[in-house]
Amino acid sequence: MNIKRELPQNYGPAVRLAVISLVICGLVFPLVITGFAQLIFPSQANGSLVQFHGKTIGSSLIAQNFSLPIFFHPRNDSASGVDPDITVQDAYSQIPRIASATGISADKLQQIVDQNQEGTFWIFGTPYVNVLELNLALINQTGSSVYKNFR
Amino acid sequence: MGWKEYFLAALFVNIFQMAIAFVIFSLQDVLPLNPQGFPGLSWDSAFMQVISFGTNTNLQHYNGEGLCNQLPNCAALTPGVPGLSYLSQMMAVQFLQFTSATTGICVAVAMIRGFITHSKDLGNFYVDFTRSLTRILLPLCFVASLVFVGLGTPQTLTGYQIVKTVEGATTQATQTILVGPVASLVSIMQLGTNGGGYYGANSAYPFQNPSPASDIFQIFLMLLIPTSLCFVFGQLIGKKRETRPILWGAYALFALDLLIAFTPNLPVVGPGMEVRFGGFFSTFWTVVTTAVTTGSLNASLSAVNPLVILSAFNGMLIQATPGGKGVGVMYMVMFIVLTVFIVGLMSGRTPEYLGLKITARDVKLVMIAFLVHPVIVLIPMVLAYSTGAASAIGVGTNSVGFTKIFYEFTSAAANNGSDFLGATANTPFFNVSTAIVMFLGRFTPIGLLLALGGSMINRKRLTTEAGVRTDSPLFSLILVGSILVLVLLTFFPFLALGPILGFFQGRVNGF
Repeated sequence: MNIKRELPQNYGPAVRLAVISLVICGLVFPLVITGFAQLIFPSQANGSLVQFHGKTIGSSLIAQNFSLPIFFHPRNDSASGVDPDITVQDAYSQIPRIASATGISADKLQQIVDQNQEGTFWIFGTPYVNVLELNLALINQTGSSVYKNFR
Repeated sequence: MGWKEYFLAALFVNIFQMAIAFVIFSLQDVLPLNPQGFPGLSWDSAFMQVISFGTNTNLQHYNGEGLCNQLPNCAALTPGVPGLSYLSQMMAVQFLQFTSATTGICVAVAMIRGFITHSKDLGNFYVDFTRSLTRILLPLCFVASLVFVGLGTPQTLTGYQIVKTVEGATTQATQTILVGPVASLVSIMQLGTNGGGYYGANSAYPFQNPSPASDIFQIFLMLLIPTSLCFVFGQLIGKKRETRPILWGAYALFALDLLIAFTPNLPVVGPGMEVRFGGFFSTFWTVVTTAVTTGSLNASLSAVNPLVILSAFNGMLIQATPGGKGVGVMYMVMFIVLTVFIVGLMSGRTPEYLGLKITARDVKLVMIAFLVHPVIVLIPMVLAYSTGAASAIGVGTNSVGFTKIFYEFTSAAANNGSDFLGATANTPFFNVSTAIVMFLGRFTPIGLLLALGGSMINRKRLTTEAGVRTDSPLFSLILVGSILVLVLLTFFPFLALGPILGFFQGRVNGF
């Protein structure tokens, strides 16, 4: 093979293929997926935003900051920094603080945690709860007056 | 095409594609679909990133989402840590993820064609590329993307959403929800064994990997094509039994990696891990992602036990367990030819594979292909320490620091892409050095192994199979043994100074 002769022969097809693949993979594909996603799964496609009393207050998949003692707190040492979940054990350990800050009984709080528990696959992993959903349950289900500003 | 024509065509197409992506990265500030107003990437950052994505490595010295987590707008970006516009994520990152994965399939199939009886050439790269892309990757990614959206991964072109949080009812606190065209990227990054995530935290970020179900689906996608290509080998050469050493060898080594990783104990959720995956799937993922050289992460590497890191090194140093898209099979054939040669020497038989006599030139080709790896890992490591580039980004000279630098270049050379350093390595030294390592680590072995395949065309086949049978379990066992000896002889001192020392120092909660 003569390299000097072969090289220029490749320029045309290589550039054409590069440009065509750019349009197909970089533009048409993501746009088509965006179209289908918005059509079939609009809620997920836009970030699983949570509506609460008519207002968007966050995403069920992204942890938000809770610092008041009357709420369950997310963890801040996870890989993503926005882990939306805590283990059930972690949630239980926060119950005494919330109980003393709100006056809600520990039994009631444990019941709410258990209702919101999500399972993992078989023995792999620990049961966990979504912190945002847990706190929305506190606001909605306990009827405690400490939460009245958040409704 | 002969091997040279095929290789040149692949190289040309890839270089043109990387050049296009370079322009998009550099000019993303003036191009459309940049709702967050990210600035263009610096030349060294853009150069490193296009080579990273174009070589199927996906080492990322940036955070795709920028550092906007809790900011109402992106005005306060940390200098030197670039974010990517939606256009860059689509037309640079996803684009190169598709094309590099496609190229991997093409060159593997081309090399295999050389081993087919009566084959005339290695095929046509342009035809192979178009077919692999339109008949395998695009249809699979179409389905996979929609599955991810269904599981919670965003796919939108509207800008980041700013919402008032629950406590914001009294404190006015807001949160920025980092959406974007994520799902279409996640499908190809896993299926194409690319591994470069939409977000800096990769598949630990909940939007990129929302649930245990999406986690398992991503692991499945990573393993799908590298495993399938083992079967393609036997199918194409018309001897299905010859899939055995490739498949058995790969999965025996994969099992060994799992054994090492899970030796300490069944891991529990710790810092640096995501609750929804737990310790088991965080560890399992880390082994898989290096076994197929994907390099995506669902936990922080700093969080896992040093033995898990050791197992990750094994995957990246062998590169055939079952290895990256396409190149995994090529590396396994390389190891088989080496093993056939060694066994031939020991038993005094003529070394032959598939009835083809293995010549001195073949052994030279595979030896060079094997030796490329240690050379491009170890030389830049020495440079990183001797020039002070490592200490400049705060990496120490203990087992932890050594592991991080060793991992960076191993990951670059193996075209894996997982790393400890992340955006902290966005310095001219690490950008340029890893770019060179990634480019050589990708195209040198591909060129050499295409040359091996090309030289098999028209080679006389021995009619009586006097050589070692390669489809027996015994051969697979010897293959695994020789791979371990070759890799350990080359890298053991460095592994000993890094993760093994870390383990004995009791760094059980990782680095």
